[in-house]
Amino acid sequence: MEFLGNIGLGFSVALSLTNIFYCFLGALLGTLVGVIPGLGVLAAISMLFPLTFHLEPTTALIMLAGIWYGTTYGGSTASILLNLPGTPANAVTCLDGYPMAKQGRGGVALFMTTVASFFGASFGIILLTLFTPVIAEYALRFGSAEYFALMLMGLVAASTISEGSAIKGLAMVVLGIIIGLVGMDTQSATIRFSFGVLGLLEGVSLIALAMGIFGVAEIIMSVRRVKTADIDPETLKLSAIKPTRDDVRRSWFPMLRGASMGSFFGTLPGTGPSIAAFLSYAVEKRISKTPERFGKGAIEGIMAPEAANNAADQTAFIPTLSLGVPGSATMALMLGVLMIHGVAPGPNLISSQPELFWGLIMSFWVGNVILLLLNIPLIGVWVRMLTIPYHILFPSVLMFICIGAYTSGFSTLNIWMVTAFGTLGYLMRIFRFPGAPLLLGFVLGPLMEEHFRRAMVLSRGDFMTFFDRPISATIMALTGLVLIWSIWSSETVRKRRAPPEGEVALARDATDA
Amino acid sequence: MKSILTAALMAVGLTQPLAAQDFPSGPVTIIVPYSPSGNTDVFTRHLAPYLEEQWGQPVVIDNRPGGGSMVGTAQAAQAKPDGHTLLITTSAFVTAPAIQDALPFDPREDLTPVANVGHVSYILVTNGDSEFNTLEEFIDASKKAPKFAATAGLGTTTHFAIEKFIADSGADVDVVHFKGGGPAVVSILSNETDIYGSSVSSAGENLKNGKVKALAVLGNERIDALPDVPSTGELGFPDLEIKQWVGVFAPAGTDPAIIRKLNADVNTALKNEAFVATVTPLDWTLRESTPEGFAEQVDAELNKWKALAVKQGIKK
Repeated sequence: MEFLGNIGLGFSVALSLTNIFYCFLGALLGTLVGVIPGLGVLAAISMLFPLTFHLEPTTALIMLAGIWYGTTYGGSTASILLNLPGTPANAVTCLDGYPMAKQGRGGVALFMTTVASFFGASFGIILLTLFTPVIAEYALRFGSAEYFALMLMGLVAASTISEGSAIKGLAMVVLGIIIGLVGMDTQSATIRFSFGVLGLLEGVSLIALAMGIFGVAEIIMSVRRVKTADIDPETLKLSAIKPTRDDVRRSWFPMLRGASMGSFFGTLPGTGPSIAAFLSYAVEKRISKTPERFGKGAIEGIMAPEAANNAADQTAFIPTLSLGVPGSATMALMLGVLMIHGVAPGPNLISSQPELFWGLIMSFWVGNVILLLLNIPLIGVWVRMLTIPYHILFPSVLMFICIGAYTSGFSTLNIWMVTAFGTLGYLMRIFRFPGAPLLLGFVLGPLMEEHFRRAMVLSRGDFMTFFDRPISATIMALTGLVLIWSIWSSETVRKRRAPPEGEVALARDATDA
Repeated sequence: MKSILTAALMAVGLTQPLAAQDFPSGPVTIIVPYSPSGNTDVFTRHLAPYLEEQWGQPVVIDNRPGGGSMVGTAQAAQAKPDGHTLLITTSAFVTAPAIQDALPFDPREDLTPVANVGHVSYILVTNGDSEFNTLEEFIDASKKAPKFAATAGLGTTTHFAIEKFIADSGADVDVVHFKGGGPAVVSILSNETDIYGSSVSSAGENLKNGKVKALAVLGNERIDALPDVPSTGELGFPDLEIKQWVGVFAPAGTDPAIIRKLNADVNTALKNEAFVATVTPLDWTLRESTPEGFAEQVDAELNKWKALAVKQGIKK
């Protein structure tokens, strides 16, 4: 009964005219920020942060949260249509979304990712509503050893994320890890690979790397192609967004698995939507009976990561609101809003500020419904973006990438980094080195190192810490299984590809005859 | 040729001294070397309207995070010394140089202290269920089985506070660095580490409902927010007067008359009742200072933390 009362209280706050307006504003801004490659959610929220001084704390949070999850909705648009990820969390959606668009199924992809986003978000909100205190306690049992084990499993599981040569994929993971090393070491203050540039002490900016490797490189490649893509006018009609029965059938389980994985990673401080999206893609590809379809427009390859990143967006509020611990820089900004208004976040927030807590959570429903209603009619508009001549579209995209990179750290160094990574990305495309593993290595590598170093200090140098602690040991065992399985499965694939001796002999005989 | 030019430029500069009474003649930019929403940023944003009111000029807050505040600080050091670009930073100004030796500026030479506006006190906290209830019990327990201390990052004030505590108390504690205060508090909540020098606001609600408990206030006096928690001074450690202070700096070479005016204007703002009422709930203890007094404090602390870094072997 009390539970229903809380829900009612939440809706009464979320459905006030002011709050609906700010929720809509946030969702709209978020979609725009997401659609435009380069403009990141952190930059958008940082810029709007001073405005929230003048709003009620609940209203301020509702708006900022709308931007936060709205971005992930919008982020898939450019990934699918232009092969340019709107945000780093949508980078993996390029892998199958762009091939779909090239097959004239861009509208379907946009429609289905909107559905996946809504599904993932709903899944996250339900978890958030029902289990916030329980999950927060559980997340506390994850120490440095557990984080390291989890990241290691992620890296092993996702190492085959890209198509083509395994050696090239692995090389890119390693390169990503090396780029991730740049900056000041957290445990010893040793400065690595910064070449005396002060701005590099914090490391390389994720936005600059993602936008350079995926965005700028794609633009340079397209310029080389010169000819604008032929667009079938049929694919621009609103009716062209209708998925086939096969699409729907294939989407259910990837969405469910993506949403579960996303929810899990969202609750762990320090991980978040990018990692969730990457890993859920890797899982789908691994368990698929037809992994060869991935990278060529498999609908599972867009449904899982889009459900995952949206679910992670919602569950990221669990540690933030219940422990007072932000999982990311963006969440830290949200906490900042509370502190400015004298509200101390922590385990008592739910009981001491029920209007705020329940109002915010119920506003997520409002926001997600708004996003659904906003995005589906907009699909037609976005698809038309492809008809914009490249000589207008690409310079504008480049401009936005530069603005986005600059605002992600308010430093011109980031723009130079975009240039450098754009060049690197271009060379990688020419020599067919995949970009996704590099991004994965870059995201996971520094986290693994940080947690590994800390786990070692905490165990006073004993490696057994990863196997003594029950959660860590379980994850390590699973990692071992994944490794064995991937070796075994690649072995069977190889055998299947190389026909048995007898058949070869027969074939030779046949041609001889 | 070059020296003649320089001399000529200096002469022009001398014949047209920036009169302090005309200051400011345009918008004033305050560089905050931290992200929006951090303690320092929030404090500055609350302060800015009171400065705008006195100056009749807009005050622009420019967040330049990175390098443990050193990126924004370096930027302020290179700004034009006319008082229209200022820096508001924390005691990281004196702690970070103790471990980063490749800074592109000299904290003594390139920036002039204007005013120390106030501080946040640190409390030593531990998990609510831990077996020690006093600081003495913690020190004794650590000598039997070594303990772990969390910090909000290498070179931060929380780090130096813990190192100083270890040096003065002889407790057997290993230091573990986290990225920011949030994860450090989590490590206390999850029993991964045993002690952390936290501000009252980052311990927050966890302190009220007993998930973490305060062992002592770092300093020689108790604080209003936690009247029952003893200060380290009372417990026999007189040298643990360590606060996270916030100060205003101007690029070196700024006209001393402008420095004095800035100091006076900041002090006026600090006395404004509306301002005091907004920031005291956020743990701030405000204070007045003179540029000379603050300069002496900065100089002494730079020496103190450098010496501690060498003694504790923090820097290689």
